[in-house]
Amino acid sequence: MSLLRARDLSKRFGELKAVDGVSLTVESGEIYGLLGPNGAGKTTTLSMICGLLAPDSGEVRIDGKSFHEHPGEVRRAMGVVPQEIALYKEMSGRENLEFWGRIAGISRRDARTRAAELLDALGLADRADDPVKNYSGGMQRRINLGCALMHRPRLLLLDEPTVGIDPQARANILDFIRGLVADGMGVLYTTHYLEEAETLCHRIGIIDHGRLLAEGTLEELKRHGGETDLFAVEGDFNGADPAAWDGFAEAFRIIQQTERSLTVAPLGDPDPARCLKALLNLPVRVENVTVKRPSLNETFLRLTGRELRE
Amino acid sequence: MNNIVLIGWTNTRLFLRDKGSWVWLFLMPLTFVGFMGFAVRAPSGPAEARPAVLIDNRDEGFLGRIFLRELGEQGLRVLSPDAAADDAPRGIVIPPDFTARVLAHKQASLEFFDSGGDTPDKEDFLVGARLLRAVIALNGHLAEHAVAHPGEPPTEAGLAALLESPPSVSVHATHAGRRPRPVGFAFSLPGNLVMYLFLNTLIFGGAAVAEQRRSGVLRRMAIHATTRAELLYGTIFGLMLLAAVQVAFLLAVGQFVLGVDIAHSLPGIVLTLILFSWVAASLGVLIGFLVTGEEKVVGICLAIALPAAALAGCWWPLEFAPAFLQHAALAVPTGWALRALHQLITFGAGISQITTSLGALAAFGIAANFAALRFFRI
Repeated sequence: MSLLRARDLSKRFGELKAVDGVSLTVESGEIYGLLGPNGAGKTTTLSMICGLLAPDSGEVRIDGKSFHEHPGEVRRAMGVVPQEIALYKEMSGRENLEFWGRIAGISRRDARTRAAELLDALGLADRADDPVKNYSGGMQRRINLGCALMHRPRLLLLDEPTVGIDPQARANILDFIRGLVADGMGVLYTTHYLEEAETLCHRIGIIDHGRLLAEGTLEELKRHGGETDLFAVEGDFNGADPAAWDGFAEAFRIIQQTERSLTVAPLGDPDPARCLKALLNLPVRVENVTVKRPSLNETFLRLTGRELRE
Repeated sequence: MNNIVLIGWTNTRLFLRDKGSWVWLFLMPLTFVGFMGFAVRAPSGPAEARPAVLIDNRDEGFLGRIFLRELGEQGLRVLSPDAAADDAPRGIVIPPDFTARVLAHKQASLEFFDSGGDTPDKEDFLVGARLLRAVIALNGHLAEHAVAHPGEPPTEAGLAALLESPPSVSVHATHAGRRPRPVGFAFSLPGNLVMYLFLNTLIFGGAAVAEQRRSGVLRRMAIHATTRAELLYGTIFGLMLLAAVQVAFLLAVGQFVLGVDIAHSLPGIVLTLILFSWVAASLGVLIGFLVTGEEKVVGICLAIALPAAALAGCWWPLEFAPAFLQHAALAVPTGWALRALHQLITFGAGISQITTSLGALAAFGIAANFAALRFFRI
């Protein structure tokens, strides 16, 4: 039985369909990365999974139990790290941990003990009694994470937990999460950082415009995007209609087109030399052609028609 | 229930940790209580005003001394002739033969002088009336002594005994046709208590909720097994605790420093302020749910609290306001709270006499709670 099973989740805000039929599972000891640009529907999906938003349709089960039937058990089984630093900034790190532990239902004594453990584990013991407002961004992120772990959840939902912090602080947090998973915790991790998804997650789901476009391991996703290279052509494509060019539509599939660039995937013969030759002979002024090896970024590009950083 | 207490205590600790909030909780109300208390003290209270008169007692007998005591009994503050003229522009000269003439059954005259302006003021009339009453009383005591001791001349001890005995006939005067009004600290303490409790609770409540919505703290609480009611009442409870700290401080200062008689109606005062702080806290939380941004919340709370305080009569005795404004005061919770406090503190009412005010406050509180639950936003 999966630790988390979300089935066919949908959510609409007025005219906007924020999430459209998303299904995913997270197992114990696994990190599932939900990768997508801002506005793709990651936070809305997470909000439905943690019970903050009621889905228009679909169902969430944690360890086989639904919110509807066992709200208390389900909530106790998971910890949620929101994207914002949702802490009392005037209180110390220790006070925050103890407060959120008690809100999660543990006793005052257990909260005190657990807070001390987590402060050690998060490397914050020496600043434990300073107000959170005096912490660096990375330290605040660590306390934000720690508050979700006070009641020892088995499933951890992280909503872009490394936004706005420096690389070293990010690496510390990612290492900490790896340690949690090694102890058997299941993690659902939303991010728009490709490298985080590539280096951290066991499985990745690519989401855009509210739809889960693909999911699998990193290797599976790379294969999903195709084994062939992509070709990025720089030049003057203002007003160009490549589909009308003689033989172009038979040889290439357009992945992305702007006024200054055209990204294509070869159809049929993937030989790079022949592809390059054909692209350099396009009836527009071509300035440069780059070969892009299969990667998560290219898979994302193929699936969504845009790069993640856009 | 545990979560309500936890959220409430945590919020209260956070409020009190901010030293800036102490200014608004303690310093500002106290300053205004003092300032307004002096500004509206009771200049015309006939029982309390004791105008000063200079007395030049040249009497060689004892009746001058008896007359001085009588002047004091009649509400005049007797000063010796070497006091500065500014302290008392009026005075009385008692002639050397005052006692001798009275004992000889001859008419004795007192000299009254006034070194003030040409136009007599109300204090002149007050002094004149009290002087006249003192003369009448002295004559009365002489007659009473003559009746009690036929054939004996009056003695100082005998007249002093009559002065100390209760008068045979007295007039008990009360206000007729109009209500007395709260004055001095008995006016400024409840007025400022109501105004600052309302203002602080609205602002602290609204701004805290807006800030916690912005930072995601409320959303985070909602993720845990915290119900909407627990979140709402936890926040309200925290604000009421904060209000209790302010109330306890101001009531203690009122009772022990300013001499306002709080103790005799303490249960009613406490009950009124608990209800009122519940109303204010619920309204503050409601504003926090409706408005985003702490600065906007503060502006709106000021725009609500200050007119509500003025309308209720926190700044000036409501009796000075036109009738329609006196009725309008009942449209705001501050009006009902202040009305109950004045009834308790100034007019000596008991809880049974303020049930209308308590009922109105409860109605405001219930309405604000329903609205806060209806517009609950995280």
